Amino acid sequence: MNEEENIIEIKDLKKSYDNGKIKALNGIDLVVKKGEFISIMGPSGSGKSTLLNMIGALDRADEGSIGVAGIDLMESRDLSKFRSKEIGFVFQMHNLIPNLNVLENVEIPMFETSLSSKEMRRRALELLGAVGLADRVDQNPTKLSGGERQRVAIARALVNKPSIILADEPTGALDSKTGDIILKLLKDLHTKEQVTLVMVTHEPYVAQMADRILNVLDGKINEQKKDESDLSVILKKFKQKA
Amino acid sequence: MNVMSFLSLIIKNPFRNRTRASLAIVGIAIGIATIVALGMVTGGLQASTQSTLKAGAAEISVAKIGSNTFGSSGGTIDESVAIDIKNISGVKDTAGILRATANVTSVTTTSSSSSNFGPMGFSVSGIDSTKLSLVGIDSVNGTSFSNEGLNEIILGKSLAQNLNKTVGDSINLFGTDFKITGTYETGSFIQDMGAFISLSKLQNLTSNQNKVSTIVVKVNDNANVTQVSQTIQNTYPNDLSATTAADQANRINQSLGVINTASWAISLLAIIIGGIGVINTMIMSVFERTREIGVLKAVGWKSSRILAMILGESIVLTLVAAVIGIILGVVGVEIILNLLSSTGSVIKPVLSLDTLLRAFGVALLVGVIGGLYPAYRASKLAPTEALRYE
Ligand SMILES: Nc1ncnc2c1ncn2[C@@H]1O[C@H](COP(=O)(O)OP(=O)(O)OP(=O)(O)O)[C@@H](O)[C@H]1O
Ligand SMILES: [Mg+2]
Repeated sequence: MNEEENIIEIKDLKKSYDNGKIKALNGIDLVVKKGEFISIMGPSGSGKSTLLNMIGALDRADEGSIGVAGIDLMESRDLSKFRSKEIGFVFQMHNLIPNLNVLENVEIPMFETSLSSKEMRRRALELLGAVGLADRVDQNPTKLSGGERQRVAIARALVNKPSIILADEPTGALDSKTGDIILKLLKDLHTKEQVTLVMVTHEPYVAQMADRILNVLDGKINEQKKDESDLSVILKKFKQKA
Repeated sequence: MNVMSFLSLIIKNPFRNRTRASLAIVGIAIGIATIVALGMVTGGLQASTQSTLKAGAAEISVAKIGSNTFGSSGGTIDESVAIDIKNISGVKDTAGILRATANVTSVTTTSSSSSNFGPMGFSVSGIDSTKLSLVGIDSVNGTSFSNEGLNEIILGKSLAQNLNKTVGDSINLFGTDFKITGTYETGSFIQDMGAFISLSKLQNLTSNQNKVSTIVVKVNDNANVTQVSQTIQNTYPNDLSATTAADQANRINQSLGVINTASWAISLLAIIIGGIGVINTMIMSVFERTREIGVLKAVGWKSSRILAMILGESIVLTLVAAVIGIILGVVGVEIILNLLSSTGSVIKPVLSLDTLLRAFGVALLVGVIGGLYPAYRASKLAPTEALRYE
């Protein structure tokens, strides 16, 4: 295994809920290279979010091994520092804090860093500029549209310069046009910042944007050839229209 | 990390649900107001008691057995006893005082002041004007009354205020017009609600020739007050009783102790009731913000920061309540004292540092007690559970 190249290394990872009745992850094997863009597909309840949560150290696995950004997540005790440094989450729901304005929402992850308030402000403004919201920084998130809120959430995910962005259906709550803008933004940021991007999606054409597509089924991964799925998507769309 | 940003978040958060925050604050503020009000009254009484013990004044007062020292009026002791007591060893000076209650009917009513009331009685004491220092009157604003048969009077400051009289005005007592030559202030609210005229004048007006109600005794600087008091007592067994000013102060302080205990009991009650209120408020707040707390964990906040945030929010609530409670207490005490005594504020409430510290101390304690459990719960939330929360 190459620590330099691989940012995520998962072996036979298992996680069950309700005293083992629900096997959310049932032996996941996955290696992701630094800077890769991976999309994860699969039916509802197959374990996609659970896998993402394991990578982001929001929860602990029962068995197996998982190493992310050189940290053994099965062993480490306090994972808040890992999350703060290495991970940026983008959820289906923007999850912004309603009583804070856009700028403050983006500053929130920097509370755990040693940045001065001036530097915090500078970074937040820079990222809000990058997502095209420079003129909305003083606004309350409740006044923004769904797409705008999701852009704030993306700025928030990037503000600590994470090595991995974990996006769980980031366009799931948006109409397709707005969703496309968000996807393009994520993809551009991924290219520009050379950040690893792992994205869960239900849309096959969205998944196509990634370097690799993983299919999760019953808590297991089977990788899918991009071209193959490309064809199936076209066929499917064609059938729908017909 | 940046302390100011974190603090500003802690200060903002409690007021996201204004109604709930206001309810919690009002509950605690009422408790704090009660603590402050009682503290102020106790402080005022204490200050008044202390000023009766002030230097220069007589240390011992002698009265007929069975009469109480403050209220005894009318002539019950022969004034020659004052001279006899003066000859007891250790005694520096004595003064006979005759007390009578005077009624004033014609009180000037002014539109602005609250002194709109009917006939009122107050205590008039007769004393040799050269002996005023024995009753704690060291200086008179104006001039003192003369002993030479002139109809002159000096009024305590509070009395003068309530009667709306100043130096130069006259006042009718016992059917005679008296000219007010001066006013005085001793700090003792009982004294400052009274008036002094010449002893012989009062004796004549009330037909108490050669009689006094009390004899106040000043001892030599090096004499033992208790011993002298005992000697006086032994000289007139079954007739007179001697009380030292310290005894009196102790007796008052005992009553103050009761108020003080009550004040502590209310503090405790405020802590318990306020604490339950705050726990409830903060649990609701954490519950509603479950998802948000999940997000904070996802972006890398430590559990300890989430604990500090919720605990801080709880303390912000109670400190705001403390400030409001203190204002409420101060204003409330003035209003209530003014309503209770038609004669105006007799007791001057004193807001001591001690009372302020207690108010803030109770608030802080309520904040910590009430915030600790919700804060702990929030810090222990599993991030994935919190994020799944609808
Ligand atoms: N905290 C939990 N407690 C109990 N069961 C859970 C928990 N989290 C997930 N599960 C179960 O684990 C399984 C996988 O859930 P997961 O959320 O990973 O699915 P998913 O692939 O993300 O589905 P979707 O596409 O609907 O988001 C499901 O059966 C779910 O009910
Ligand atoms: Mg999911």
